[in-house]
Amino acid sequence: MAPDLGNTQKWMQAVILHPGSDRQAVASSEARKLVPPSRFPRLIRPSRTLDSFERIGIYRGMYLARLQEALEADFPGLLHFLGRKRFSDLATGYLDRHPSRSHTLNRLGDRLPEYIRSSPGMARQDFLYELARFELLMSRLFDAEESPALTPEAIAAVPPESWETARLKPVAALSVQALRYPVGAYLEAVRQGKPGPATRRKNHWAVVYRRQYALRWLDLSRPAFRLLHALVDGVPLGEALSGVLRGGRQPVGEVQLFSWFRGWVTEGLFQAVELEDPQ
Amino acid sequence: MGRNRWNLPDLGFGIGLRTVHYSYILANQPPIDWFEILSENYMDTGGRPLYVLDQVAERYPVVLHGVSMSVGSTDPLNLDYLKKLKALADRTRAHWVSDHLCWTGVSGINVHDLLPMPYTDESLRYTIERVRAVSEILERPLVLENPSTYLEFGTSTWNEVDFLSTLAQEADCGILLDVNNVYVSCFNHGLDPEAFIDRVPADRVVQYHLAGHTHKGTHILDTHSDHVIDEVWSLYRRSCQRTGGVATLLEWDENIPGFEVVHAEALKARRHRGLPEPDHQRAYGT
Repeated sequence: MAPDLGNTQKWMQAVILHPGSDRQAVASSEARKLVPPSRFPRLIRPSRTLDSFERIGIYRGMYLARLQEALEADFPGLLHFLGRKRFSDLATGYLDRHPSRSHTLNRLGDRLPEYIRSSPGMARQDFLYELARFELLMSRLFDAEESPALTPEAIAAVPPESWETARLKPVAALSVQALRYPVGAYLEAVRQGKPGPATRRKNHWAVVYRRQYALRWLDLSRPAFRLLHALVDGVPLGEALSGVLRGGRQPVGEVQLFSWFRGWVTEGLFQAVELEDPQ
Repeated sequence: MGRNRWNLPDLGFGIGLRTVHYSYILANQPPIDWFEILSENYMDTGGRPLYVLDQVAERYPVVLHGVSMSVGSTDPLNLDYLKKLKALADRTRAHWVSDHLCWTGVSGINVHDLLPMPYTDESLRYTIERVRAVSEILERPLVLENPSTYLEFGTSTWNEVDFLSTLAQEADCGILLDVNNVYVSCFNHGLDPEAFIDRVPADRVVQYHLAGHTHKGTHILDTHSDHVIDEVWSLYRRSCQRTGGVATLLEWDENIPGFEVVHAEALKARRHRGLPEPDHQRAYGT
């Protein structure tokens, strides 16, 4: 009896996704439950030039090639560090564990950092995890909603007495990051075609954001990170400033704080000043 | 005015909007008739792609063309996807929305390929219902393209062109006739491409696709990586004689050359339809 449409599709998908050879894929347990291998040559007709295995092999080859190409585009730093062969092995394993479940390839790498972190025996695992996480973040910020930056006029309109309790709303395409490896510098070197920089562990802090549709990042000192992190989390300005002035090992002066703040506003990191409701 | 069933307009000769041409298009506003937009590239972004699309849609007629509708899949329709697609069509004032007669995955998985349907009574009945449902959700007729295929199911009881034609009639959808795909599939399956072209119902054809491909000796891959070959131009002329000519789109997706080269390739279609060259065609030196 001929398999129905649903079974045929499940069978073909199982064969396409199987990581082994064409023959292993057709004979795999998942595939043979749906179509016995003995029926295969009748289900997929040979052509004048290709047998049934070669014909379905075209789809299998295109599947891996297309999805690996998408991952390479989203993770150029990983590709550069690993080289094409090791990246391909990583991608093959990842796609086997996490096939795409989205209508868009933009979400294909969403679980790659966690896959790297959970893969046993991977050399430089911590660095690769952070690099993948950073590249994924860049992709998400690239696609984030566009929000208009705070204007000087909007700042001037805030009554001086309101700043203490005001909250600053960040633009949508922004993320404050505490990093353990110089992944931003590494990616920049890859982008510019320069030799890869050192990848030794080095705690540092940065804000990644999009301005005029281009992704950028600024390195931050630890106190600047603490202040910006607090503001992005919605802590009122006065509380965030005094928190940085009070705490931390590095002393920070008020002049320094306001210099950071002006710089961030100029860079367009905020979209609005939200004032406390007088009621 | 077009001769198709819905009087959808003949938009002229366009190309697919591609990232590598963004800067050129924004800076030069080239004299092109229209653009085809890959729907999925703009449905989930609020960044530069959407900004560019808004600029393009402001200046040029656009049509949406998707690869993930999976209208032939036995999975339930992805209503979230269709909602986003409709919103994008409304935003861009798209003249129509197209996708492929194919499936792209089941059990929630997307293999991101245009997988072939078995051409059976069962799949025909099923796909007719799905196309009707999609058209209702999108509030506009769906236009379906014949994909390039690399295998044939032994269970098929229909040939591709009769399956597609019957589907279009029964589900009341349009046809995006990809002339290169006709050539590719017919080569791969040992069929006569002219017979295919002659059996397509002319009043259902809303749009043409033209593209180059990669000949591997034993089979042809639909790579959109080169100029259109003479045999495909010949099939295009043959079909235009039947349809009277409809909106024509040149696809180029691998080793994409500069905008002028791709546009000039699209404008060759004017000559094959017996239309005079526009001034900008001479400017490109074609």
